[in-house]
Amino acid sequence: MTLDLVRLDDRLVHGQVVVGWGQALAASLVIVMDDRVRQSEWEQELYRMGMPPHMSLEFASVEEAVAAVPRWLCSSQKTLLLTGDVDSLVRLVEGAPAIRRVNVGGLHQQPDRRQRLRYLYLSETEAEQLRRLAERGVEVSVQDVPTARPIPFREIP
Amino acid sequence: MTGFEVAALLAWGTVVGLDLVSVPQAMISRPLVAATVAGLLLGDPVSGVTVGMMLELFALEVLPVGAARYPDYGPASVASAVVAAGGDPLRAIGLAAAIGLVVAYVGEFTILEVRRRNSRAVARYREGLASGDPVTIRAFHRAGLMRDAARALLLTAAGLALAALPRAWPPLTPRIATLLDAVVIGAGLSAAISGTLRGTGTMVGLRWFAIGLAAGIAVVVLR
Amino acid sequence: MKKGMMLSWLRLFAVQSSWNYERMAAIGTARALEPMLRDLPGGRDGARYHEALGRSVGFFNSHPYLIGVAVGAIAKAEHEGVPAAQIERLKAALTSSLGSMGDRLIWAGTLPFASGIGLALAATTPWYVGPAVFLLFYNLVHLALRTWGLQAGWRDGARVARALGAPLLRVGLSLAGPMAALAVGLAIPLVATWLGTGVSPLLHTAIFGVAAVGLTLALWLAPALGGLRFGLVMAAVALGLGTLWP
Repeated sequence: MTLDLVRLDDRLVHGQVVVGWGQALAASLVIVMDDRVRQSEWEQELYRMGMPPHMSLEFASVEEAVAAVPRWLCSSQKTLLLTGDVDSLVRLVEGAPAIRRVNVGGLHQQPDRRQRLRYLYLSETEAEQLRRLAERGVEVSVQDVPTARPIPFREIP
Repeated sequence: MTGFEVAALLAWGTVVGLDLVSVPQAMISRPLVAATVAGLLLGDPVSGVTVGMMLELFALEVLPVGAARYPDYGPASVASAVVAAGGDPLRAIGLAAAIGLVVAYVGEFTILEVRRRNSRAVARYREGLASGDPVTIRAFHRAGLMRDAARALLLTAAGLALAALPRAWPPLTPRIATLLDAVVIGAGLSAAISGTLRGTGTMVGLRWFAIGLAAGIAVVVLR
Repeated sequence: MKKGMMLSWLRLFAVQSSWNYERMAAIGTARALEPMLRDLPGGRDGARYHEALGRSVGFFNSHPYLIGVAVGAIAKAEHEGVPAAQIERLKAALTSSLGSMGDRLIWAGTLPFASGIGLALAATTPWYVGPAVFLLFYNLVHLALRTWGLQAGWRDGARVARALGAPLLRVGLSLAGPMAALAVGLAIPLVATWLGTGVSPLLHTAIFGVAAVGLTLALWLAPALGGLRFGLVMAAVALGLGTLWP
């Protein structure tokens, strides 16, 4: 399969993703899946500025992503999908059960969230959602950069 | 070392320790600069720059991307320069660099500790921050700077203590010393190459790296 | 020049001093932004000033040299009275794009390039040339970026994507990585030759052997080990071997 990384990271396209993961996986296509950014031209333009020339960037709503997963899976282009919130991730995996593996990269602090790892803050609801995903047999692993050790989600406090 | 030299090295170590993350990030903390200046303070800049080159190879591996963790080579360079100074710059460079590596490695954890303390401090300042009080913002920010300054000073002091050890111990036999030189140089070269290739994108980077390498070998052969 | 801009520029040099996992560089960014908010309607006692500061201390991160772009853009947006929710979206998009640009332009580009040139010179010229050229070239880029960033951010505000698309910056971004690889490639044989002259010829094979093992580990077998830890392990092994068979 060539949907090489499905990543939860609320900074979306940033250095760890482009320099770290993009180069480790030799990805050439990055999908930002976010319903609001999909609607906003000026935000898309800013996100595009962060992309290196050898990677292309596309924007998708969750619905569009679900529909496109079969196409990404059989395309020859190495693809990396980013989303910034747990809800979108869960909706994607529910809609496209072919996704068997997700990477939890980083969510930052918000008032209802508790710190779990140095780069991971989750509310109880979000932790529960990810736990259920893992129980359904999806491999949920937590890892910020490719050189770090992946931690299975069930080991997260 | 004289008292003045110790004080100057502590001050320089603190400055370069601060430079890495806090202020001014002018990369005077890179071993190539930090170790050379430390050597200069001890009257032996050639030993300083030589051990600085050695550590710079290791520092080329570091990609200080966002929240990633990275070693602190500034105070480490000061410790290495102390070990190297006064001797033949190309002898026992392995020992000097190895001591720097230990300090850099410890430094990585001191940075994490400062960041953890900064994170805990957020709770204490939470209300003032939320209300947009400039005095709270300044106080929080200065406290962070002070923590990093204390960290850099302590790390430099620990490094200087570590650097004094080889003088207290019986000297390495020439065979051990040169073996140590060889393995540390080898490890440094692999760190520099892998770090550069990882940072610049494997395929494109590889091509340009190969061109540079060929040019470098040509210079070595023709000189 | 915009009032307060000079002070903001100076504070940008310390922007990461209170870096923490919860807010990352946000509070340093707020500190750098503060002088440019003082002339909001109502002044330093006004509600606009305090609201803007209160907004700016929430999560934010970027490359330190490019945070000025965000500081300028947010200051402009605050002066223009852009709604709070939109400023939040602007910050999120800037965290992303500025971080990625800075990492490629500086950490994976200018820095290893300057370092490679500095190393090559240090191995071939008097002791002060390599470090001096490294510092001068690197900080030329560093200072230019900080200065340009703050001004561009203030000029374009939320439409700052336009400034980030500047041709010079785009050319720099596409050249930075390849030039870094070229410079380090050039430096490697020169540095290896210079450092290796202290090692007995018999052990030159040990340098290559250790380098080959280190590369194999770093690129394929154990990328998480890291060159520093590999170096420490190898140094310990060498000391151990030397002690057992003196």
